[in-house]
Amino acid sequence: MATDIQVQAQQIRRRVAPWVLVYRRKSEHLFFKLLMYLMLINIAFAFLLPIFYMTSTSLMTIQDYVDPAVYWIPTVFNWENFTLAYGGMNYTQAFKNSIIIALAATLGQVITCAMAGYGFARGEFPGRELLFGLVLFSFIVPPQTIIVPLFILYKNLNWIDTFWPFIIPAFFAQGLRGSILTIIYRQFFRGLPWELEDAARIDGAGPVRTFTHIMLPLAKPAIVVTFLFSLVWHWNDFYEPMMYLMKPERFTVPLRLQILYTSLNEMTGGQAGELYNEPLIMAACFLIVLPPLILYLFTQRHFVESVERTGLVG
Amino acid sequence: MAVGVQSAPKGAAKKKRRRGLRISLRQRRALHGYLFISLWVIGFLTFQAWPFIQSFWLSFNSVDMMAGFSLNWVGLDNYREAFFIDERFVPTLLQVMRDMAIDVPVIIVFALCTAYLVNQPLRGRTFFRAVFFLPVVIASGEVLQQLYPQLQETGNTLGSTATVTRGLDIPAIVYMYLPPNIAELLLNTLNRLTLILWRSGIQILLFLAGLQGISSSLYEAAKVDGASDWEVFWKITLPMLSPIFLVNIIYSIVDSFTDRFNPMLNLIRSAAFTGQFKLGYAAALGWVYFLVVFLILLVVIAVSSRWVFYAGERD
Repeated sequence: MATDIQVQAQQIRRRVAPWVLVYRRKSEHLFFKLLMYLMLINIAFAFLLPIFYMTSTSLMTIQDYVDPAVYWIPTVFNWENFTLAYGGMNYTQAFKNSIIIALAATLGQVITCAMAGYGFARGEFPGRELLFGLVLFSFIVPPQTIIVPLFILYKNLNWIDTFWPFIIPAFFAQGLRGSILTIIYRQFFRGLPWELEDAARIDGAGPVRTFTHIMLPLAKPAIVVTFLFSLVWHWNDFYEPMMYLMKPERFTVPLRLQILYTSLNEMTGGQAGELYNEPLIMAACFLIVLPPLILYLFTQRHFVESVERTGLVG
Repeated sequence: MAVGVQSAPKGAAKKKRRRGLRISLRQRRALHGYLFISLWVIGFLTFQAWPFIQSFWLSFNSVDMMAGFSLNWVGLDNYREAFFIDERFVPTLLQVMRDMAIDVPVIIVFALCTAYLVNQPLRGRTFFRAVFFLPVVIASGEVLQQLYPQLQETGNTLGSTATVTRGLDIPAIVYMYLPPNIAELLLNTLNRLTLILWRSGIQILLFLAGLQGISSSLYEAAKVDGASDWEVFWKITLPMLSPIFLVNIIYSIVDSFTDRFNPMLNLIRSAAFTGQFKLGYAAALGWVYFLVVFLILLVVIAVSSRWVFYAGERD
C-alpha cells in the first residue's frame, strides 16, 4: 500500500513538475520581456524626441515658444516659419545643388566601389592584401590631414566653386568615405559562393560579364545599403562643401543652414538670436532632414532587410 | 582560403590564349583582378596618396598662397610652433583624445545592448529597428548642432532656456560632492550623452548584422549542455562578436576623430584658411593629428589580437 501511495505521489509530482517549471519560467520571462520593452521604448524615445521637438517647435509662433504653458502642441500652427526658412535658405537653389552633388557622387561611388570591392574579394593578383591594406589606410587618414594639398590640387584644376571635387573622386572609388563602401562590397562578395563564378566561366562568360550579369544582381542588398549611406552622407556633408564652395549660389543645404543661423544670430545680437529664432531654425532643420527621412521611410524595409543580408562585417 | 585552393592547380594548367599575347591563365586572372581595381588605384594615387605625401612635404614649408603657392623650406618650424607656440593646439589635441576615450566605450556598450535587444524575438521589433537606424539617415552634423546647442564651440551657454531635449541637466549638487575635475568630466559626458547615442547608428547596425551571423546551432548546443542565457551571452555571443567589436571600435575611433563637432577640425581649417593662410602650418597640424590617430589605432589593434576570436577559416 505504502509503495502504491509513493508511486502515486511520484506520478502526480511528475505530472505537475513541468507546469511549475513552466510557470516559473513564464513569469521570469514576462519580467524580462517587460524590461526589454521598457529599454527599447526608452532608447526609441531618445531618438525620436529631437524629431518631435523639431516638428513641434517649427510650427510654433514666438509667443508659443516662449510661453511655458505651451509644451508640445502649438496654439496655432504657424506655417510661416517654413516659408521663411525656405526663403531664408534659398532652398530651391540649395536643394538643387545638394541633390546634384549627392546623386552624382553616389552613382559614382556605388559603381566604382562595387568594382573595387569585387576586385579585392575575388581577384587573384599579387599584392592584393597589400593594396587592400591601403584601402584600410585611406579609411583612417583624417580628411584634415590631406585637405590642404587637395585644396591646392582643386584650385590648380580650377575646380573650386564647381561640383567636380565631389563627383570626380567618387567615380574613382574615393570621395566621402569611399573606403568604407569598398570594404562593405568586399565583405559582401567574399561571402558569395565561388560556384557561381565557376559556372559562369564554364558557360563562357568573361570576367566583366560575370560581374555585371551574375555578381551585381546578387549584390542588391549591398547596393541598397551603400546607396543609402552614400546619398545620406553626401547630403549631410558639411566640411567639404565648405572647403570647396565659395559662391553662395553654389551652396548646399547644410551650408545654407549655417549661414541662416549666423545671420539670424547677428541680427538679434548673440544669445537672443537663439531664443527668438528657434522656431525658424527648427523649421530650417526640418527642411534639411525631410528629404533623407522620406527616402528612408520608403526604403526602410529594404534597408533593414539588406543590412541583415549584407553580412556587413563578414 | 578558397583562393589558394582554386588558383594553385589552375595556374599550373598549360592552357594558352589562342591569339594575342601569350600569357598564362594565372597572369590573365591577375590582369582581370587589376582591371577591377584599376579605377580605385588611380583614385587612390590621385586623391589620397599624393595629397598625403604632399601634405608631409608642405608641413616642412611655409606656403605663400598669393605667389602661386610658392614654398619656403622652414624645416621643423611648423612643428615647433604647433607644440611650443600655439596655445590652442596641444589642449585641443588632449581634449579630442579625452573625448574619444570616453565616447568610444559608451558608444560600444550602448550599441551592443541596443542591437542585442532589437535582435530578440519581440513584437514590434521592425518598428524599433526602423527607429534605431534613424541616426544613420538623418544624423546631419548641422542639424544636430542646432538641436544640441551646448555643443557649439562658441560656448553658447543656454542656461535658463533649457528645454526638454537639451540632453540631461545635472544639478549643481554634483559639483559639491565630487572633485572639480571629475565633476566637470562627468557633466561634460552627460551633456553629450544624447549626442553619443546619435552617433552609434552604424555601430548598432554592425552589431546587429554580427548577431544574426552567429549560427543558431551554437546556441542549441549550449542549451543542450544546460547553459543559462547569461552564460550563453558571455561564452558564445561575446566571443563570436569579438571581430565586430574590433571593427566597431576602430570605426568609432575614426569617426570621433573626424566628427563634425571635433574641435580639431576647425582648428586646422582656421589655421589654413583664415588670417595668414598658413597652409604649411595646417599641414603640420594635420600630420601630427594623423600620427596620433594612427598610434591609437595601432595600440588598439595590437591589444585586440589577444581577445579577438576568429571563428572558422578566416585568413
